[in-house]
Amino acid sequence: MPLSTAATNAPATRANAATTPEPAVRVTALRKRFRREDGSEVLAINDVSFDVDPGEFIVLLGPSGCGKTTLLRTIAGLETPDEGTIEIAGRALYDSSRGIAAPPERRGISMIFQSYALWPHMTVFKNVAYPLASRKGVRLSKDEVAQRVRTALTQVGIPELEGQYPGQMSGGQQQRVALARALVSNDEVILFDEPLSNVDAKVREQLRLELVSMQRRLGFSALFVTHDQTEAMELATRIAVVDSGRIAQFGTPQEIYSRPATRYVARFIGAINESEGVVAQADASGLVIDTPHGRIASTDTSAGLEVGDAAVALWRPERGVLSASEPTTVNRWEMTVDATLFVGSHTEYLVRHGEMTARLWSPRFDDVAAGESAWVSVRPDDVRVLPASDPEGGPLVTGSVATRATR
Amino acid sequence: MTDTLTRPPSRLGRLGRLREKRTTPFDAVTVAIALILIAIVIVPLGRVVVGMFWVDGQFTTGPIARTLAVPDLPQLILNTLIVVAGSSILAVVIGVLLAWLNERTTARMGVIGDALPLLPFLLPPVAGAVGWTMLLSPRAGLLNAWFRDFIGIFGIEMETGPFNINSWYGLVMVFAFYAVPFVYMNAAASLRSFDTSLEEASRLSGASPLRTLVKVTLPAIAPGIGAGLLLSIWFGFGMFSIPSIIGTPAGIDVLSVRIVQLLTFTYPPETDVAVGLSAFIVLFVGLAYALQVRILRKGRYATLTGKGARSNPTNLGVWKWPLRGLMLLYVAGSTLLPMFALVIVSLNGYWTPKIGWDSLSLRALQAAVIDDRITREALANSLGLGVVGGLIGIIAAALVALYVARKRTGFAQALDLGIKMPAAVSNMVIAVGILLLLAGPPFGLGGTLAILLIGYIALYLPQASIAADAAVSSVGKELPEASAVSGASPLRTFVKVYLPLMVPGLVAGWALLFIRMVGDLTASAILAGTGNPVVGFRILEVFNGGSYALLAALSTVLVLITATVLVVVMVYARRKSRFGITAKIG
Repeated sequence: MPLSTAATNAPATRANAATTPEPAVRVTALRKRFRREDGSEVLAINDVSFDVDPGEFIVLLGPSGCGKTTLLRTIAGLETPDEGTIEIAGRALYDSSRGIAAPPERRGISMIFQSYALWPHMTVFKNVAYPLASRKGVRLSKDEVAQRVRTALTQVGIPELEGQYPGQMSGGQQQRVALARALVSNDEVILFDEPLSNVDAKVREQLRLELVSMQRRLGFSALFVTHDQTEAMELATRIAVVDSGRIAQFGTPQEIYSRPATRYVARFIGAINESEGVVAQADASGLVIDTPHGRIASTDTSAGLEVGDAAVALWRPERGVLSASEPTTVNRWEMTVDATLFVGSHTEYLVRHGEMTARLWSPRFDDVAAGESAWVSVRPDDVRVLPASDPEGGPLVTGSVATRATR
Repeated sequence: MTDTLTRPPSRLGRLGRLREKRTTPFDAVTVAIALILIAIVIVPLGRVVVGMFWVDGQFTTGPIARTLAVPDLPQLILNTLIVVAGSSILAVVIGVLLAWLNERTTARMGVIGDALPLLPFLLPPVAGAVGWTMLLSPRAGLLNAWFRDFIGIFGIEMETGPFNINSWYGLVMVFAFYAVPFVYMNAAASLRSFDTSLEEASRLSGASPLRTLVKVTLPAIAPGIGAGLLLSIWFGFGMFSIPSIIGTPAGIDVLSVRIVQLLTFTYPPETDVAVGLSAFIVLFVGLAYALQVRILRKGRYATLTGKGARSNPTNLGVWKWPLRGLMLLYVAGSTLLPMFALVIVSLNGYWTPKIGWDSLSLRALQAAVIDDRITREALANSLGLGVVGGLIGIIAAALVALYVARKRTGFAQALDLGIKMPAAVSNMVIAVGILLLLAGPPFGLGGTLAILLIGYIALYLPQASIAADAAVSSVGKELPEASAVSGASPLRTFVKVYLPLMVPGLVAGWALLFIRMVGDLTASAILAGTGNPVVGFRILEVFNGGSYALLAALSTVLVLITATVLVVVMVYARRKSRFGITAKIG
């Protein structure tokens, strides 16, 4: 994951260097209710608060129907929430208590739609020039408009297409036009609504890389909605994992992956092994959980669990070690290998010990054959411990602005 | 100066208007238009209902009693039911068969799908009925005469026949020709979205193609067939031109024809009985609708998902070519043949099976259409009403469709429902209501073009609304949203995005309304008179006068007008589709 590692540092410095203390986007206590056909109410957005610093690339990640797109559309002004506030660059665009709700055309932000939403009756040039002609208070001469449009088209790598109609172009090209239209007005915030889901895998990968480098270069703040965790990991400086209208966790990709805040997040991002049990010992240096499959030791005390609490031990498949001889690690089991799946970069071992099953990823593929038994171990440092059931209450935010500043 | 000190308007204050609560003048006008449109349907309908119980300011059951006392009432109802049921069943058989052949088998030909739905537009029912009369009248019918000549070669002599259009089978046949497109379009759409793997699974389970068709395919598209059947029943009860031209000479009276006779060809008009008979039409169409809803609810019809994967069509082997021939024959027979008869008779100058091929001329056409003052007037009126009525209808419908699409509130949906409601009521009844309400005092619109305009708009409102919906939905949600996010005001979004994208759809919708209005006979027969003649009324008048060459000439002109408009609009739509803008007719 070299891309996102490099990415995290850049905006942080930019944010520090910025003179305005205002976040690019600030959402506080936002709620939106939907009424179902049967009359019951659903909270599509349930008490969501977060800040986007200038120059950050925030990905809203979640399964379909979790409310991430609704959240994006409320920020764009395409849907009206019921409570809360939305500010962009310090300007209140929505505030339920003060009766403020700016229409989308007065919000001064750009958005890229899932279907690209290019107007089929306008040429590429006219599509891209449209925001310049529409924005209130922007009066540009014809030459300036042409200049800005050509710059935007060059930035996205399609300067030669300006005379064409969207219907004559490929999906990837249409995507670039949509991007140029979002860039042309130099807005501070650009919203992306799953823009890469309609192009094929190869083009998607290419566009993703270009998008990252363009965003880092031009420095706009991005809010990007997707259900694809790989995409989220690659693009984001921070990820907001959305679960049923709430933000389940808000942090850097590394935090989200290695220190998931809830079992939901742990399961949604990557593969995970889980063992439920009860806390048997707990002190400042770590804790021990009694599970039906023996005791599991961990150094992770962040959940603040006490002796007797129901807990779950979680570890990633690549953190497990498979060996023929008994290892010295505290957490070890002698298990039977049910199946080996060779994936290329690694081999996945499905192992079993009575009721307990686990997945293991090893870079080598000749360790053990299916049907044999072997030792499985995981270091206490690699075991994450969380309460057995996810909390129902407010959002769990890790790596918030405050946390980031001290990092 | 100082006493008018006001707080400076803050920037937040300017933004502070909640979007939902903003009612622009644009919206207000739209709502007003929608309410007027609904009113011109609801109020006349209400008038019909009131008219049943309330005569001269007194409650009475007299109209009902008099309606029930119509001596041949059972016969009238039975006739109507036979014609509607017979033609609907025939239409379902033909329509489903054509749809299946054309969508699912190796015999498929795109031309059927293109041509069939256009039939009622190319050849308005009144012209079709006249055309078939020219072809199959027992004595002078062209086909009959040619058939007699042909068998004469073998020494078989016949004076009349063998076919007679003025008969039960003739009436049912022509009804069915016009009902088939309803069934075909719905069945073909269902077949297109039907997952063919269901058929493949049936074949792999050992079922023959026929068994697969009966056990798997037909049940799956039953809702589509049901919708087509309902449309065909609705069409049948309200249809006036075909039974009046084909059924009346055969002595087959149906409800719709009797209603018009009571209103316009009886003196004094027996309005109350006409209203009472209209109630039967409402009743039967309502029953058919309720039945369909029940059937759909009872059966567990799985929602067909998206577009099924294209699979190999059923191979018909050696049957492919004969079946193709039959399909072509059907299209040619149902459309081209009557058109041909109309043109030949009008060019010949008089109706005779002995066509003087070398003496065909436009003289008769000229005499019938251009030299005749009333016909000229009728043509001008019809064209004017078609252009204006079509424009008013489609623009009003577009405004309402846009409003409904943008607002999505309960009120907006109610407006939408109201504007589509005439589709559920028979045309005949609405026209009667408008006559009752507007012809006499205080409005006194009887015999004016205004009452015709109102009648046409009220009658064809659902078609306008459906065409406008299609135009709005073809724009989608994201294109206008992208415009708003780009900073464009609602007005600018409307002018720059909605309008250019909707124009092709609206032009197609206008053409549809124009053709319906110019070829209309229902409202024309009830609302037009010698003071405000229109083509439909003139055709009826000429038919009653027995001048067949003139009738053919008039019908030919009608076909020419509709065909021209249709072709021009289709060419325009095709040109626009280069930009991915689509427009559909029908």
